[in-house]
Amino acid sequence: MGHAATHAKSLPANLDAPGFVRGWQARALMVAVLFTVTAVVLATLDHSAEHVYRAWVVGLMLCFGFCVGGLAMLMLQYVSGGKWGLLLRRPLEAMTRTLPLVFVYWVVTGLWMKKLYLWARFSDAAAALKAGLITEGEAHAIEWKRPMLNPEMFWVVGLICFGIWAFYAWRLNSWGLKRDTQDASTTPYWIRKTENLSGFGLVVYALTMTAAVIYWVMSMDVTWYSSVYGLLFLVGEGYQVLALAVLTTLALSKEDPIQTMLRKTEQYDLGKFMMAFVMLNIYLAFAQFLIIWSGNLPEEIVWYMHRINGHWGVIATLDFIFHWLIPFALLLSRDLKTNKKRLMRVAQWMIFAKFFDLFWLVEPNFKDAGSNLHFSWGILEYIAVPVAMVSLWVAYYSWELTRRPLVQTNDPHLAEILEPEHAHA
Amino acid sequence: MALPREGTYGLLAEFDTPTALVEAAKAAHDAGWRRLDCYAPYPLEEAAEVIGFHKNRVPLLTLVGGLMGLCAMFSLETWISTLAYPLNIAGRPTYSWPAFVVPAYEWTILFAGLSAAFGMLALNGLPSLYHPLFNAPNFRSSATVDKFFLCLEATDPKFDRVETKNFLEGFHPNSVVEVEY
Repeated sequence: MGHAATHAKSLPANLDAPGFVRGWQARALMVAVLFTVTAVVLATLDHSAEHVYRAWVVGLMLCFGFCVGGLAMLMLQYVSGGKWGLLLRRPLEAMTRTLPLVFVYWVVTGLWMKKLYLWARFSDAAAALKAGLITEGEAHAIEWKRPMLNPEMFWVVGLICFGIWAFYAWRLNSWGLKRDTQDASTTPYWIRKTENLSGFGLVVYALTMTAAVIYWVMSMDVTWYSSVYGLLFLVGEGYQVLALAVLTTLALSKEDPIQTMLRKTEQYDLGKFMMAFVMLNIYLAFAQFLIIWSGNLPEEIVWYMHRINGHWGVIATLDFIFHWLIPFALLLSRDLKTNKKRLMRVAQWMIFAKFFDLFWLVEPNFKDAGSNLHFSWGILEYIAVPVAMVSLWVAYYSWELTRRPLVQTNDPHLAEILEPEHAHA
Repeated sequence: MALPREGTYGLLAEFDTPTALVEAAKAAHDAGWRRLDCYAPYPLEEAAEVIGFHKNRVPLLTLVGGLMGLCAMFSLETWISTLAYPLNIAGRPTYSWPAFVVPAYEWTILFAGLSAAFGMLALNGLPSLYHPLFNAPNFRSSATVDKFFLCLEATDPKFDRVETKNFLEGFHPNSVVEVEY
C-alpha cells in the first residue's frame, strides 16, 4: 500500500507568498491614485461633491463586505471544516486584518453623515416639514425612529460593532499563527477551540452586521424598512468574499506554495460553493421583492418604484442579469469550474456585479435620483470613488497576504490535499 | 454492433488501491486498448479520465428538461390567469409575472431532476439484469467493498488470452481472472 505515499507531493519548503503579490500591491496603489484624481476632476466638473459622499458609501460597503464578510467566511470555515479551508484560510485572514482601513472609511462616512442621511440632517423634523424640506411621511419616520437613528447612536453602535469584529479578527488571526507553532497532536484541540469561538461569533456577526447595514445603507431612505435586509447583505458578502478568495487562490496558484496545494477536486468544490451563493443571493433578493410586491403597501413599495421607474428599470434588469443570470449560467458548467482562467473571470465578474448592485441600492435613495436616472458628471463618481477605495483596500490586502505563510501546516487535511486526486473518495 | 454472447468476456485484474488501478488503466489506454473499463467502490474521476471517458448527454438532457419545466409552468400560469380564469387580484394586471416565478422555478427544478435521473438510466443501460463480470467470484464479493478492478474486454482487437494476461500481470495485481459470458 506504499503506492499512495510515494505519489504524494511534498509540501514546498517556502510557504511565503510568491513575489508577484508585491506587484499586485504596487498596481493597486497606482489604480487608487489614478481614480482618486479622476474623482476630484469629476467633482470639479460637477461643481459639487454630492455624489462623492454617496459613492463613498458604495466603496465603504464593498470594503466592509470583503473585510467583515471575510471574517464571517473564516468563522464559517472553522465551524464546517473541510479541505477548502486550507486554500482559503490565509486569504480570508488577510481580509479580516484590513479592518483598520474599513474603520477609517467608516469614520469618514460618519463625518459626512448630514449629507447622506435625512435623520442626521434634520434634528428638528417638524421645522423641516414646515420649511418644505421633507415630506410628512419622512418627518413622521424621522421622529418615530429617533431613538435609533440619531448621530450619537450612529457612533455608539458603530464603535461597538467595530470593537466586536476587531476582537474576533484578533482572536482568529493570532490563534491561526500560534496553532502552526505546535505539533500535530494539538490539532483536535485547535479545531474545537476555533469552532467554539466561531459558532457563537457567526451569530454575533449576523446581528452586528445587520445593525451596521441598517445605519449605513438602509436608513438613507428613512421611511423604508425590510426585515430581510441584513440577511440580504450577509449573503451578498458571502458572494463577494468567496469570489475574491477564489480569485486570490487561483491567482496565487501560478507559483508555489499554492501551485502544489490546489487540486482540481477542491477547485471544483469552490466553484460549486460560488454557485450556491449566487443562488442564495437571488433567492433572498427575489423573496424580498415578491413579498413587498404582493403586499403593495404605500410605505414599502415606493422603495421599488424609485428603483424601477424613470429608466431605473434598465439598471434593475441589468442588475438581475449581471448578478444572477450570467454567473449562474456560467457556473452551471462543470468544465468551467475546473478551468482556472475561466473561473477567475467569473469571480472577477461577480465582484463587478456586486458593485453594480450597490449602485442600484444606493443612488435611488436620493431625491434627485429616485425614479429619475439621469446623467451628470457626478454619477461617474460611482465608478471613480469605489474603484479608488477598493484599490487602496486591495493594496492593503496584498500586503497582508505577504505577512504570513500561505498554508496552515497544523491542519488535519494537509496530508490528504498533497495526495493524488484519486486516493480518496 | 452485435456482441459475441459466448466465450470470453474479458480478463479482469484486481487491485488493492485506486492508485494502482489508475496507473494500470492509463498504461493500458496508452498501449492502445479501447475496449476496457474500470470498476471501483466509489466514483473515481481520474480513472474515467485516463481511459478516455467521453462526455455523455445527461447534462444536456437536464438542461432541456429544466427549460421545458420552466416554459410549461410559466405558460400554464399565464394561460390560466389571462385567458382561462382571469381574476382581479388586488387590482393587479392579470399577467402578473412576479407571482408566476416561484411555481415556474419549482417546475424547472422538478423537470431538471427527473430528466437527470431518467436520462442517466436511459443512457447507461440500467437497470440491467445480467452482466458477465458478476461471474467472477472476487468481483461479486468485493467490487462494491474495497477492491479496484480493470477489465480488458475480448472485443478489443488487441485481445489475446495469453499476451493480455501477461500484460495485466505486469501491473502486479492481486489476481487476473478470465471472465466468461
